[in-house]
Amino acid sequence: MIKITLIFLQLVFFIVIAPFLSGLITKIKNYSKMRRGQSVFQPYYNLIKLFSKGQVVSETASWIFRVTPFIVISSVLTVALLVPVFILSNPLYRMGDFLVIIFIFALGRFFLALAALDTGSSFGGMGSSREMFISSLVEPALCLVVFSLFMQFGSTNIFVFSGNHAVSVASIVGAIALFLIAIAETSRIPVDNQETHLELTMVHEAMVLEYSGRSLALIEMALYVKQMIWFFLIAQIIFPIAAPGSINSSALFFWGLWYLARILVIAVVVAFIEVLVAKMRLFRVADFLGFVFVLGAIAAICAILGV
Amino acid sequence: MGGTEIISSIKKILPDFTALLVEQRHPDEIFIKVSPQIFKDTALVLHKILPSPVMMLFAVDERKLGGVFTVNAVFVHLKQAQWIIVSMDIPQEDPHFDSLAKNMHSATLFEREIWEMFGIEPKGNPDLRRMNLHDEVWPPGNFPLRKDFKEMQARGLSEFKFNKVEGVGIFEVPVGPVHAGIIGPGHFHFSVAGEPIVNLEIRLGFTHRGVEKLFEGKPCVEAIRLAECISGDNSFAYSVAFAIAAEKISGMLISEHAAYLRGIFLELERMYNHVNDIGGMATDVGFSFPAAYAALIKEAILQLNEKLTASRYLKKVNVIGGVSIDIDESKKTIIFNSLEKIKKDFEELIKILNFSVSFMDRVDATGTLIKKTAQDLGIVGLVARASGIPTDLRKYFPGVYDQAKFKMMTQEGGDVLSRLQIRFSEFTESCRLIEEFTRKLNDCRHTQVNPVFKQASALGYTEGWRGPVLCWLKTDSNGLIQRCKIVDPSTHNWQGLSYAVLGNIIPDFPLCNKSFNLSYSGNDL
Repeated sequence: MIKITLIFLQLVFFIVIAPFLSGLITKIKNYSKMRRGQSVFQPYYNLIKLFSKGQVVSETASWIFRVTPFIVISSVLTVALLVPVFILSNPLYRMGDFLVIIFIFALGRFFLALAALDTGSSFGGMGSSREMFISSLVEPALCLVVFSLFMQFGSTNIFVFSGNHAVSVASIVGAIALFLIAIAETSRIPVDNQETHLELTMVHEAMVLEYSGRSLALIEMALYVKQMIWFFLIAQIIFPIAAPGSINSSALFFWGLWYLARILVIAVVVAFIEVLVAKMRLFRVADFLGFVFVLGAIAAICAILGV
Repeated sequence: MGGTEIISSIKKILPDFTALLVEQRHPDEIFIKVSPQIFKDTALVLHKILPSPVMMLFAVDERKLGGVFTVNAVFVHLKQAQWIIVSMDIPQEDPHFDSLAKNMHSATLFEREIWEMFGIEPKGNPDLRRMNLHDEVWPPGNFPLRKDFKEMQARGLSEFKFNKVEGVGIFEVPVGPVHAGIIGPGHFHFSVAGEPIVNLEIRLGFTHRGVEKLFEGKPCVEAIRLAECISGDNSFAYSVAFAIAAEKISGMLISEHAAYLRGIFLELERMYNHVNDIGGMATDVGFSFPAAYAALIKEAILQLNEKLTASRYLKKVNVIGGVSIDIDESKKTIIFNSLEKIKKDFEELIKILNFSVSFMDRVDATGTLIKKTAQDLGIVGLVARASGIPTDLRKYFPGVYDQAKFKMMTQEGGDVLSRLQIRFSEFTESCRLIEEFTRKLNDCRHTQVNPVFKQASALGYTEGWRGPVLCWLKTDSNGLIQRCKIVDPSTHNWQGLSYAVLGNIIPDFPLCNKSFNLSYSGNDL
């Protein structure tokens, strides 16, 4: 019973906190531009608005277009269940593998790319091809990072490094590589630009241009949760934290505070990169992810050398 | 070089050239009337010897007076500060003329316009598709700029045919006319091989309002307000061009004081548009901090405009014969104080952009328009200067700019970076010019005289921020406008954009587009 409650709690935790991170990043960006900007809770209002709206589906769209939002959100939420937040030891233990996470994410992305092609709009096609181009470069780099984690912890299972492990050179380099990958995966500057209105420059946004109402809400929700999962994984590697030592309430409170603060720190860094850097030319992304690949290799070598 | 010298240099190339009429109409305008048979040769020779693209090519319906259509080609002789207008009469039965387009690319669009508006056929022009009168709305056989045009006669409607690029892996990407941003409507038809652009066809005309027809029959004094509305971000330049044309017709000379005032407002208009474009380029590459900073500077300039003239976009400032508002001592202090702050902020903005590697990587070598292409297309203004063509009416027709020692800015690259740097240096130069003009303002108030108009024609021109704004005006004996032909620099430069983007990737198009920042309403008229 407790386990089921914990699983349920973990899902709620991700769904409730995730939009706030995006709202926070937008808020920081606006403040640094000397603007007041929208409320940090705007992503919640947007979701509520979209959920209460009807949707328009193109006449030429097939079933793929309709099922994709559900596949995307369920793939992301599945991953949310596989990372150790509340469920430190549980029935999903053996499934929480980093490689599994990569490919569950890939499932959602694959269907999103198909759905974008489905309606036959020219922007959707451009978005899909760019997304596939970027993800084909992300995955090898990501595999190298996973490899370095395997060298350090002897396993690619995420639950292995959920404890309070020592921070090594390998894990720092690995976390940096993972951070750059997260930027590409969550379509942020300098790889993509979530706030742009220019259809011709979009990557992720171009794929979801045809979606509206509830379907769009599901896809946006999925993006928020996915972003939070990435932040969480990075935090777990670079700011490791063990389960609270005692069960008394004040200790739990401070533990929870630090737990969340780690994620916020990463969100702040992302926000400042968004302000300080221009978006890259599309084909420059190959150089950028090539650099990430090298970082991954360095992390792996460090891990082999044991530093 | 006066009219006779022009004729003799034409004769060197065309030995049996004879003009029907050569006239120095205004101190800066030479009018040459030729027969339709030698019009094409004359135009081509002038194009070559001046050298000048055809700045304007337009028809006038004179069937009531002489049973003819007149077609005028306007060239500019920069070194001698002369406008040369070559004119011919075309009989109203079966109106046609030999197309210049195959020998002179800059004439292509003008000929298409003459064909759609007047039904005068440029024989030999390979492309006679209509531009502003869309086939989906206007049935063929309607020529709205003819004087006897009353209302649209409906017959069949058809569809516009885009140029087709065929081949394995070529995709067509249609974009617009409705865009996601708050911009004018234009349809961009890309043919791409993967991401790189193989061909771009731009279809405009969605904001066609019949401005030139609206001018007809209006008194000049009223029509200057209409001229201001042709292109909103260029309203002062338009009012100056129109006022100059009207002043030439009525034989007025504006005071030096008024000329300085016009200079100040022209430069203010240039400044707010340049900084707006710089911010726009930063926005288009997702570089949000300098974009916000540029927006602040633009707002400061607009507020300065409002303090000086009670209009943020400098409307209702210009009148025929001078400027309706004056700058007194207190306003002078406002100008100096505001400029001081604006200059400081702008230097900071330049520093941020120049020192950002990620930004420079985006603009450098993007959207290159090489000099040869720019010359062939007849590109004008800021874009031409960025491609290494020294053309600026402020230098060649200086007026008060001479006293302020105006310095023309050019760049060689022709890419987005060059167009950006032109804007940097022109902004700084404009600041200096305004300060110089303000210091030179003397206290002699200009006296308002009521202009007297007669039957005449004249060309008004000024260097707006995009480039030369031209306005050819013809009035009847009552001083009412018979024909007003407007040419916005965008008309020439839209073609430049479709060449500059070739070989660039699609996601770079918005950046290239912003670096040109052309007017939809100025082009569509």
